[in-house]
Amino acid sequence: MLDLKHELKLDKTRDEKARMNFVSGLRAHVLNDMASGMRAVWDAEVEPAFRRSRGRRPKDGPEVHAALKPNECFKFYSSLRVTTQDLVWQSVFPALERNRGALKEKAARLSRSSQSRSGKTRGTLALRPGFQVPRSVSALDVHLMAGNYDGEYEEGDLAAGSLYDNGLAVFSFGLMGQNLDDIGQSIAGFIKLKFPKLKPAKILDLGCTIGHNTGSWKDHFPAAEVHGIDVAAPCLRYAHARAQAQDRELHFHQMDAEALDFPDASFDVVFSSMFLHEVPRKGIERILAEAHRVLKPGGLMLHMELPPNSQLSPYDAFYLDWDGAYNNEPFYKPFRDLKPEDICRRAGFAPEKYLQFVIPSVGWYGEKVWREAAERPPSVDSDKTGRLTDGILWYCFGAFK
Amino acid sequence: MSASDPARRPMRRTIRGGRPYFFDDPAIDKILNMVVVLGSEVWTLRERLAALEAIQVRQGSLASGELDAHDFSTEDEARLAGERKEFIDSLFRVLQVQVEEPRTQPVKAKAKPKAKPKGKTARRPTSAAKGRKTRR
Repeated sequence: MLDLKHELKLDKTRDEKARMNFVSGLRAHVLNDMASGMRAVWDAEVEPAFRRSRGRRPKDGPEVHAALKPNECFKFYSSLRVTTQDLVWQSVFPALERNRGALKEKAARLSRSSQSRSGKTRGTLALRPGFQVPRSVSALDVHLMAGNYDGEYEEGDLAAGSLYDNGLAVFSFGLMGQNLDDIGQSIAGFIKLKFPKLKPAKILDLGCTIGHNTGSWKDHFPAAEVHGIDVAAPCLRYAHARAQAQDRELHFHQMDAEALDFPDASFDVVFSSMFLHEVPRKGIERILAEAHRVLKPGGLMLHMELPPNSQLSPYDAFYLDWDGAYNNEPFYKPFRDLKPEDICRRAGFAPEKYLQFVIPSVGWYGEKVWREAAERPPSVDSDKTGRLTDGILWYCFGAFK
Repeated sequence: MSASDPARRPMRRTIRGGRPYFFDDPAIDKILNMVVVLGSEVWTLRERLAALEAIQVRQGSLASGELDAHDFSTEDEARLAGERKEFIDSLFRVLQVQVEEPRTQPVKAKAKPKAKPKGKTARRPTSAAKGRKTRR
């Protein structure tokens, strides 16, 4: 199992580590082996049966879903995936519960900038007392993560951030890199390669949770001032301490991406990763409009996301939408049914300024393949695009203002 | 390592919004969950044993490969065989209930026709029929 490399990592017993290893291994089995098995059953049995009875191929993801649902392989895959998802978090709880006091003390020490690892970091944290977390976040436990991202159990709590950081290490079975920032590293680095003239002075990461991908922007653009916003205070407290532990100067704010408290034309890059699909449609439109507002002319908006259904085969569309149906992510499929170019246009971006990329995971493919992709990005329609599986390709879309 | 602080409110571990079920009877999903948790504990024991073995080899109280080459004495073997039997019995205790019930329950004239003929075979669908069944 991937172990966190920073000071906030939990002190775990041998058995706790073993349980996490098991869950990670099981996730890899379900998402690689069982997923391939289900695809094979689809090709050999279910799809031909569909064609025989309907006289045509399935036209979209929901038809694939309906046809596969009664099949035993779908039931085992799904039931095991849900169980494993729950165990991701359950495998962290015992160590986290025991470490909560120590974690809070460490975070408090790290948050005093003079005592960060090098003593040089001057990152900041701005929380808003009385801030109302939107219902789209507070109403249910997204990703089946008990307690959710905003759950607080005591004054100044940051346990939810730790649950997410440690859980993500189990969940990703290595596919998100040693620092869980493969998305950030792959994309920020790619943008630097692809647009060498872009010299951002200010970068904003929307819905940043624990800032695991926010830091990559600082790594690739060290001269830039990098900000991250989120609605969940426990994640932001953790993000701040985590950045301090890693000697990254980042600025975190408790803020709703639908109503940013930044002046017009104040950022060169507005980024988000795996964020929009957790937001209701109306909210997505407002977020993109806000991104347009706070961008300077010539600035870049970029969202790393799940690829849209319109650009995938019916089977791959079904496969990705599984999370929307079963992982407590009610806005997932509605987001994936949108056309990214349309929402960018509606937010005020010129259609000719629209762009989208498929970026190979730098951790999985290595620098050579990743660099080559800056010249010739792979096509969207692949069973690796946006899918947490060996050989993942990250999808992103956006526009220049 | 500090123990968890009893004054601290424990974090919630149940999922708000619930979890979905996929089999016709949600009990199957729940049993599968139990099997996975058991699997996790079996694996945890194996890792712990591997750690113990590695430490003993490092400290010189166990030679590399000694554990694999070890044969139990006849006496130990007999004791383990008994324990193994108990282990297997306890694993399948749940199935034994059905077998033992008629012997332990006082036979009632009324209960007889209900309990026997339908119960075991007729109600259970064959695995082939099960495979064809769709969800409601």
